[in-house]
Amino acid sequence: MGSTRRSFLTASGQALGAGWLALNWPKISAAAMHAHESAAAPEPRLAILSAAQARDFDAIASQIVPTDDTPGAHEAGAVYFIDAALGGFHAVHREEVLGGHARFLTAFTAKYPGESFAGSPVTRQVEFLKSVETTPFFQTMRFLTVLGLLAHPKYGGNRDGVGWKLVGFEDLHAFQPPFGYYDRDYAGFVPYAKKGQA
Amino acid sequence: MSARTYKPSEQVDFAIVGSGASGGVLARELSQAGFSVVVLEQGPRLGPSDFEHDELKHWFANGITNEPVRNPQTFRADPAAKATRVLDIPALMYARLVGGSSVHYTANFWRFHEIDFHERSVLGAIAGTGFADWPIEYADLEPYYTKVEWEIGVSGLAYASPFDPPRTKPYPMPPMPVKSSGVLLERGGRKLGLHPFPAPLAIASQPFRGRPACVHCGFCEGYGCEVMAKSSTLYNMIPEAEATGRCEVRAESYVFRVDTDKRGRATGVAYFGRDKREHFQHAKAVVLAANGAETARLLLNSANAKSPDGLANSSGYVGKYLMFNAGSATGASFEHELNEYKSVQVTRIIHDFYDADPRRGFYGGGGIDARIDGAPAWWAAINNPPDASWGAAYKQVLRDFPKSLISVGHCTSLPVETNSVTIDPELKDAWGVPAMRATYLDHKDDLATAAFMQDRAVEILDAAGAKKIWRVPIVPQTVGVHLLGTCRMGNDPKSSVVDKYHRTHDVRNLFLCDGGSFVTSGRGQPTMTIQALAFRAADHIAQFARRNEI
Repeated sequence: MGSTRRSFLTASGQALGAGWLALNWPKISAAAMHAHESAAAPEPRLAILSAAQARDFDAIASQIVPTDDTPGAHEAGAVYFIDAALGGFHAVHREEVLGGHARFLTAFTAKYPGESFAGSPVTRQVEFLKSVETTPFFQTMRFLTVLGLLAHPKYGGNRDGVGWKLVGFEDLHAFQPPFGYYDRDYAGFVPYAKKGQA
Repeated sequence: MSARTYKPSEQVDFAIVGSGASGGVLARELSQAGFSVVVLEQGPRLGPSDFEHDELKHWFANGITNEPVRNPQTFRADPAAKATRVLDIPALMYARLVGGSSVHYTANFWRFHEIDFHERSVLGAIAGTGFADWPIEYADLEPYYTKVEWEIGVSGLAYASPFDPPRTKPYPMPPMPVKSSGVLLERGGRKLGLHPFPAPLAIASQPFRGRPACVHCGFCEGYGCEVMAKSSTLYNMIPEAEATGRCEVRAESYVFRVDTDKRGRATGVAYFGRDKREHFQHAKAVVLAANGAETARLLLNSANAKSPDGLANSSGYVGKYLMFNAGSATGASFEHELNEYKSVQVTRIIHDFYDADPRRGFYGGGGIDARIDGAPAWWAAINNPPDASWGAAYKQVLRDFPKSLISVGHCTSLPVETNSVTIDPELKDAWGVPAMRATYLDHKDDLATAAFMQDRAVEILDAAGAKKIWRVPIVPQTVGVHLLGTCRMGNDPKSSVVDKYHRTHDVRNLFLCDGGSFVTSGRGQPTMTIQALAFRAADHIAQFARRNEI
């Protein structure tokens, strides 16, 4: 039993009482199990992007959410998410993205003849990205990288939940109050004076 | 449970199109009243085990809503321009499954206030708009608001807000436990002399009518509830209708036309079944509850020789006066963790700015809440602080997610005639049915109201001790999830589509009841009123049927 499912059932038991849980066990169990099983990330492979395109996409994503003392978009496998998205929910924009990448490369090569973007030093990559950060291609890369960091791992990114860890999101099926710092010591709702009263 | 089924060739008492917030209520009320009912729902029937915590699917990929490939739309802001096809998020969005948008709603359940029904008389005309009074008053609807609270299931604290309209009963369940966003909204609001109060929500805070209490998973807005705690018609009205043995809910049945006979009476509805073939359900009366976009489209697509501009459209107002509710979003982060992704979206709201005030120089009013609005990807991609959008600084910003909230302003929209649902002259959907064209540009007063509400939110968040506050830019809306006003209710057949009992002025046995019936927009939380209208409409429709007045 996965930890997510176990803690969900424990919390549910506390919240709902054993009677309800027994009554609804099959449904909830199925839902939690389904969620747990689908959490397994697919094997990393590319369906849309060529190896060269993937190297650039990974390099760009790696500067959008860089790796420091914690994992970034590279470790999250954002490029695999993007590849899947271009064949999936974002497929309608595939040509626009690939065309945008081609123009991106043309501009990069014009500035740095003979160099590849993915192979150039990070400082140069960042400098160049700053010069194109308002282009639709960069904006789309930023959008897809963020989703590749934070969407469910079953879509190929957010490997081992590294994106969720970064933003402090716990993927659980149930919580109990207090939920945060400020509701811990809430004294209760104090009613207002009724209309007509001082 | 094997519910009653009917053959399309059997003439049932009522064919209801749509199984959502209003269709579910009408189905349950009319079948419990003894009538035979077939509900036709274009979407599939899903249940708790089909719903999942998947932000990409629900917030970015139209997982349970209409979507632009199968249900394409065009959009334009300028009524003189050619509309362009929408590629990502539908312009007119609704959940497309049994239970309709009551499955994916956030479940904020505010009653309208008394002023909402006669604001035009109080404030006067507003040039360039169809601003009008409703043909009913709050008192007409109050018993049905109470019915929604007790039969749909709403949690809240009665009399907590000094601005609340009169009520005959308290809520059946206590409010949901407060979250940190609620504590902070309350702290900031009270400091400024405002009156924050516990948010009424159509979510079970304790076991209710056979459904369990909320387990605070946090996935309400845009999602189906995995534990049946959200009071969706999928979990209350629909099964109760089926339990009468007189109601069939026919999923994956896409109605595209209402037919009428020589006398101009509706004979039933033509639909594509799950076999993709055309069928015709015969009915003594037809009720359209397909939402403010699809009901209007269906009437327009049902044009015939006798009604060349669309069925029930002698007024010319079918599809017009579309209202989305304007809105604002204001971000803030605090010193400590809030963890807003946990539990229901909203636990405190402020109604001090509900009423319009002519001294502001523009029309409008609304409410303010605090939440996170979506799980982390939406926040990080769309609502994050403006300091950085990529790079090392952005990564630092992302770490603030647990300490952040978004305060949402929920505002009025004025009825503007050019804001509309019409039929696109070229585009067709996956079944070959002419697609809908949305035309929408917020009235300048709507944008001014949203900006006003954002200013108030900034003050409240500052008073609450926010470390950082940011304004999400207010821009004209291109997507609406509140689909209101397109078949407005009124006493005059020349200026409205349905009468105060939801009967179309033109077709005696055709009724419309959904957000389209609204005359004004309210303050941004329409479902409570849609359902109160549906309970009231069902009462009257049942009486008409019994008296042979349909």
